Amino acid sequence: MRKNDSITGSFDWILFGLYIVLVVFGITTIYSVTYNPENPSIFSFSEMYGRQLFWVGVSLFLGLLVFLIDSDIYRKFSIPIYLFCLALLVIVLFMPPINGARAWLGFGSFGIQPGEFAKIGTAILLSSYMSSFNVKQQNGRTVLVSLAIIVVPMLLIILQPDAGTFVVFTAFFFVMYREGLTFDPIVLKVVNAIPGVKFRSTWLGTHFIPILFVVIFLLIITLIISHTTLTFEAYPGEEFSGYWRMFAALVVTALLGYLIMRSLFPKREARRALIITIIGFSMSVALTATVHATFESLPPHQKTRIELWLGIYEAEEGTGNVDDGADYNRFRAMTAVGSGGFTGKGYREASIANTKTNHVPECETDFIFSPWAEERGFLGSIFLVTVYIFLLLRVITIAERQRSKYNRVYAYSVAMILFYHFAVNVGMNIGLVPIIGIPLPLFSYGGSSMMAFSIMIFLLLKLDSQRKDVLN
Amino acid sequence: MNFDSRKYVIISFFIITGLMYGIKLFYMQVVDTDTWKLEAQRIAEKRIEITPPRAVVFDRNGNKVVENKTYYNLMMVEEDMIDFDTVAFGKLIGMTKSEVLERIEEIKDGEGKYYNPHTKKKQSNYQRIRRYPFLKELTTDEMSKIAPHLDGFKGFYKEVTSMRNYPYKSGANILGYLAEVNQAEIDRDKFYKPAYKIGRAGIEKTYEKEFRGEKGVKYIVTSARQNTVGSFEDGKFDTTAVQSKGIVLGLDIDLQAYGEKLMQNKKGCIVAIEPSSGEILAMVSAPTYDPNILVGRKNINEHYPKLVEDLNKPLFPRPLASEYMPGSTFKLIQALIGMQEEVIKPSTGFPCNKSVVGCHNHAYATSVTEAVKHSCNPYFYAVTRRIIQQGKHKSSFKDSEIGIDIWAKYMHSFGLGVKLKTDIYGLRSGNIPDSKYYDHWRGKGQWKFSAIQSISIGQGEVQLTPLQLANVASIMANRGWFYTPHFVKSINGQGPRREYTVKNRTMVDSKYFPYVVEGMRRCVHEPGGTAPMARIPGVVTCGKTGTVENFKLVNGRLIKRPNHSVFIAFAPMDNPKIAIAVFVENAGGGGGTWAAPTASLVIEKYLNGEVKSEAKEKRILDAKLSLWQ
Repeated sequence: MRKNDSITGSFDWILFGLYIVLVVFGITTIYSVTYNPENPSIFSFSEMYGRQLFWVGVSLFLGLLVFLIDSDIYRKFSIPIYLFCLALLVIVLFMPPINGARAWLGFGSFGIQPGEFAKIGTAILLSSYMSSFNVKQQNGRTVLVSLAIIVVPMLLIILQPDAGTFVVFTAFFFVMYREGLTFDPIVLKVVNAIPGVKFRSTWLGTHFIPILFVVIFLLIITLIISHTTLTFEAYPGEEFSGYWRMFAALVVTALLGYLIMRSLFPKREARRALIITIIGFSMSVALTATVHATFESLPPHQKTRIELWLGIYEAEEGTGNVDDGADYNRFRAMTAVGSGGFTGKGYREASIANTKTNHVPECETDFIFSPWAEERGFLGSIFLVTVYIFLLLRVITIAERQRSKYNRVYAYSVAMILFYHFAVNVGMNIGLVPIIGIPLPLFSYGGSSMMAFSIMIFLLLKLDSQRKDVLN
Repeated sequence: MNFDSRKYVIISFFIITGLMYGIKLFYMQVVDTDTWKLEAQRIAEKRIEITPPRAVVFDRNGNKVVENKTYYNLMMVEEDMIDFDTVAFGKLIGMTKSEVLERIEEIKDGEGKYYNPHTKKKQSNYQRIRRYPFLKELTTDEMSKIAPHLDGFKGFYKEVTSMRNYPYKSGANILGYLAEVNQAEIDRDKFYKPAYKIGRAGIEKTYEKEFRGEKGVKYIVTSARQNTVGSFEDGKFDTTAVQSKGIVLGLDIDLQAYGEKLMQNKKGCIVAIEPSSGEILAMVSAPTYDPNILVGRKNINEHYPKLVEDLNKPLFPRPLASEYMPGSTFKLIQALIGMQEEVIKPSTGFPCNKSVVGCHNHAYATSVTEAVKHSCNPYFYAVTRRIIQQGKHKSSFKDSEIGIDIWAKYMHSFGLGVKLKTDIYGLRSGNIPDSKYYDHWRGKGQWKFSAIQSISIGQGEVQLTPLQLANVASIMANRGWFYTPHFVKSINGQGPRREYTVKNRTMVDSKYFPYVVEGMRRCVHEPGGTAPMARIPGVVTCGKTGTVENFKLVNGRLIKRPNHSVFIAFAPMDNPKIAIAVFVENAGGGGGTWAAPTASLVIEKYLNGEVKSEAKEKRILDAKLSLWQ
């Protein structure tokens, strides 16, 4: 049935190109960050860059393998693959902890993180399951099964504990949302219980998941921005309090959001964009005020606990060095980013974010955006952000052109996982997101993440290249 | 149902996130980048200042007068202190356990306090990983006892530092001393940091900038644990520290030491100048102290209060700051002014009229030269009267006003009544009264020469410092001009300050000097002269004695105290090599009794390199005069 020329004929070179760009810039950044003059060769295996290069090689090999295997295999074996991932997640709990988490499965001197691969297993099974019924057959049972597929590995992961990967799994909720999962019946039940009210559907119930995430994000960002120890003077002598800055940010976001929605929505829904903006904005302001009031009314020890989690805790006065505060990591990363300036300090000239000075911890993995931004400046960082946004939009484009629901669900899974990693990683480097340790996809040092993301993307390329063969 | 439009929600998420991050990045990296750059500098770059050792000092013969000696600080880093045995450590350094712990506490909250402008409070910026001096300024001996055992005490290190040393133990008042800078000095001059040393007196103070040299700066990149990672941009901005090549004084340290020895058990001073250059050869202030006792914090704390409380005031630089009446030495200048103003001729004689002012018995002074030789009081009374009251105004009061201002101008040209620009702090100008001065004290039009006549013989309101008087001797030696007396002969091999190469001319013409100088010679060498004890075999010395009456206010009454013995001289008469002024306070007797022989011994030592007049020397060395015991 399948034509042999389909391998190259429908290959998405743009996605592949973006993949290569990120991998290449990633490895050059790792080279710069961990450069050791004693082993200057990028192939020296005793250095991180040598090892990362090796992992890139392995990843390309695995990607090729994935590409050569008939994609139906994954669909057919989705349950065994998923169970295999779960088994690894269980086994890893019996391994000795590294840095306080049992996330590593050791094979000799190498270790892999099953958590990274579990995302693929979950994505495949979720796609397979969700494509087994159509929208009209969607009911409470299908929702529960879908949720179970996502939640089981999440529970195993939080046992490690690995908060970062745990959070990433919530990306799948967006996939479910795209495929029509709705909380409207529940919301309607509540709303229609009010006498005299009779809605057929509610906006809140329909878009429950994105709204929930916007709310959570705003909540976090409100606390971070308004409680951060970093203060800036707008102009000499005039310091703005955190909440005023928050309000300004909301106004800007609302305006931008409206403009974007106007351009994206079909003409007839222009009014809806305005309504969404107004409602969203008023709710955000109300939320900000509520968060502020609530936060301020909390007992001090609870406040401290929240501040610690957000990474905005300031060392108490008199306890000595403010550098020891929990704000340390984020503040150092932000220093690296901010000090990069417009054009950057130059390749291998980063003074804050490199492993030699170690002012930014983990700057080859979780904080790798900071050396990039320090070396390449605003031009470089805006370039990288743009590349990631293009990558995401490309995956969405690919997702939307699939004929099969299986392919589409999988593609959305990839898009959302990539988005989470990108948004959290870059966000914490610029002080917008709490410190959650997850790698920057295809960029950070680390074999497991490199292999997992490569397999994920090559599988997508494979599915996409065969999209025309699928009748369903 | 069709859920395709939901893709727009997700796409919006992506784009809004991208935009938000873009805006935040723009704000951080473009708008606010300076704040972050400053922060990055604070975190990762360390500017290390390298302070060069202070300049060493040589005397005119190349002897090292001030040098740097190595000392040690015992440094402490709390972070590295593991299994700290306080008892054993205390034993090693001679402290009790509680003293050791106390010192650590003291370091923790005391050392390195800084003012935090945000909290508006003084805060300790103590850090466990930084080095702090546990014990300061240990000598090599003290350190050699501790150092071998330091391996047993983790977190303690020795650090080399340097302090001043004075091998000759002389010249304390000239050289001055160092002390730690105070906050005001740190605020004024960026060069200084807490615990830096600064010149507090003497030439160490005057030439502070030359002494301290130029700082070098090294920029390094530091890691989060404060370790040095490398030089910043390959040392592109680094500069090297430049130590001053050394400061050469006009001082003759052997002569200085000899002078101090002669002045032992006496109060007073000796100032010797090389007339041809204005370089100060010796400046003795007696009593003095060994400059080594004011080296280092420990020593200063111990000795400084004692020196301050000493009734003989060893810290007081008498040659610069003590204002004495010059007595008869002043007559030399009166004679010169008289001749220049043409109110007398070199051959003018005046009778020794003791009814005006007292005098001793001597032959009739038939000329200026003879008058100087005999130091005739009535003669100079007459001379000064003619200078002050020249008949330029018909009122003798007004006439005196005009006259004294002319006279004061002459005096100023001799460096009297004005501050000499000598390169040392603590100079005083002495007092040369003028019309304003007397108007103030006596009332305008209320005085004329007869009221102020004691100035004619260097008593009354006239006051000079010994340095000024030595400069007068120098002027006599040069027959009418002088270089401002100064200590530093050469800085960095480039000669003295520019102002010391400018000849100052007095208002008296050179042609009048020989008459006075001849009088000075006779004063020493001819029978009937006042200073026979100043004779040195084989040397023609010109000198002039002074005997200064002085009073002290005791319980509201002026009590007459023993006379100050004063002598100024230069030698040899032709091509003079040394000009000198000697004051011996409350010595009793006249200028010829104590000051003249002391001066002659210094001159002999300087000109001949050794002193053969042993009896004279013994007499001076043995004398104990007027000291508070």
